[in-house]
Amino acid sequence: MTNGLTTGKLKRTIIAWLLLAPLIVVTLFPFAVMFLTAVKPRTEVLTPTWWPSEFHWSNFSDMWVATGFGQALVNSLYVSVIATIGAILISVPAAYAMSRFRFAGYGAFRQFLLISQMISPIVLVLGLFRLMAAWGLVESTTALGFIYMAFNVAFTVWMLQSYFDTIPRDLEEAAWMEGAGRWLTLRKVFLPLCLPAIAVTAIFTFINAWNEFVVALTMLRSQESYTLPIQVFSLVAGRYTIEWHHVMAATLLATLPVAILFVWLQRYLVRGLALGAVK
Amino acid sequence: MQTRFLPYLLTLPSLFLAAVVIFWPVWDLIQISTHDVSRFGQLREFSGLANFAALTADPDFIAALWRTGAWTVLVVGGALLVSIPVAMILNTDFYGRGLARVIIMLPWAVSLTMTAVVWRWALSGESGMLNSALIGLRLIDHNVQWLASAETAFPMQVLIGILVTVPFTTTIFLGGLSSIPDDLYEAAALEGATPLQQFREITFPLLKPFINIAIVLNTIYVFNSFPIIWVMTQGGPANSTDILVTHLYKLAFRIGKLGEASAVSLVMFAILLVFTMIYVRLAMREQRA
Repeated sequence: MTNGLTTGKLKRTIIAWLLLAPLIVVTLFPFAVMFLTAVKPRTEVLTPTWWPSEFHWSNFSDMWVATGFGQALVNSLYVSVIATIGAILISVPAAYAMSRFRFAGYGAFRQFLLISQMISPIVLVLGLFRLMAAWGLVESTTALGFIYMAFNVAFTVWMLQSYFDTIPRDLEEAAWMEGAGRWLTLRKVFLPLCLPAIAVTAIFTFINAWNEFVVALTMLRSQESYTLPIQVFSLVAGRYTIEWHHVMAATLLATLPVAILFVWLQRYLVRGLALGAVK
Repeated sequence: MQTRFLPYLLTLPSLFLAAVVIFWPVWDLIQISTHDVSRFGQLREFSGLANFAALTADPDFIAALWRTGAWTVLVVGGALLVSIPVAMILNTDFYGRGLARVIIMLPWAVSLTMTAVVWRWALSGESGMLNSALIGLRLIDHNVQWLASAETAFPMQVLIGILVTVPFTTTIFLGGLSSIPDDLYEAAALEGATPLQQFREITFPLLKPFINIAIVLNTIYVFNSFPIIWVMTQGGPANSTDILVTHLYKLAFRIGKLGEASAVSLVMFAILLVFTMIYVRLAMREQRA
């Protein structure tokens, strides 16, 4: 019986991988292109061979200097950190209120969050640009961080509330019985329990800000203020000679850390969204 | 007394911040779209719906509108057709399932801008690695200039759009499939139901709410999607791959027709609101069920 089960599983394994093969090939193709181009010697980049004659790891350090990667990296980090910390600081109280109080306007606020999650910045980008221009904030990476913060608040409140709702109230009520005030209970009982959820939500906000394209493209006009996506795009757009091995090295470096983080945490995102949808 | 105002106090900052970046720009867009406006954004006299009328007379806008429809339907539909079987396979127990799952989720982890930059290089006509791979496999015998004409560029963009939409869609379906109890299939198998019958009678009906949600959410995301087309072709050659978002961006920041750009924004905003209403309806129906 056990033997029959394992051969059954073996058969399933072969069929499953065969069926998934086309999708897996297409999915991995751009990653292979990115990696192989990034390590090719300059002279081989434009020849249509797949495998480089030698692995040119120095492409990465050359690229770092030639493209001003360091500055863009710092800008991206700065913008994403502002967006993340700000969004969490603002949405934890809001999510707490929505999870623990019943108040007039609760339903309307939730609907407002849902709708504002659906509005993409591209639709509003002209208005946003004029808003920033009126305040003299075009080119400001700080202002960009605040815009990202604002666009992520709906998502973070939504995610956090769905987690907060899963934490039983009994624990807090027990603390109140013991005579602890609301604030003390919040700090000593509630927040420690929520810390993992807050961390996961923060990381997703960070990734969102890290990857954003259209607002940054509109607001940031000079190379000193470029974030990574804009920097990489500027290496490709409107140039006659494109140093593709540099572009691919930059893409790889900018993508890898965040991609690993994302793949690792992706199931929490799904769980959070699913909880939000069911509650 | 204190507790009565506390929830309002706690939600106020988030409401305020979201309102500033949404309501203010929307109000501004309404202002611009109903006025005659200079290239530098000075409002002149009230012009009613003239900017909207100008749109309907603009063949580029009409073409972009139709192309947006095609883009959205093809990407959302394609992602759906790929994701249902993929989710069903990933839901079965086989060796290396975790690895297969990670690989299929990978495109979701990479920013669309980076994905589009890599594909732009892979599709390059003379030295692109897609051409060399296809020639190596003897599928084509000469280099194809993929991005040089809309006939090849747009289908490629649709395929890439499908590829990056599959992970999210598959994840939703995996959530749906895991909620279907196994004994349903066992009972059906005992009754002698074929796999196809099992799919038609059990899997599909129980997955349907998840399919609906995936369609609506994907429609919203794909409709708004800017980087793939902008990075690969900037809507070119000769505006032949423009969708509404890229057309809007050109109107606003290349040509400087701010009035028409605002009108496009508001038209898109209205379409999005309709989609969102549908989503809210679906989500509420789920809640009640």
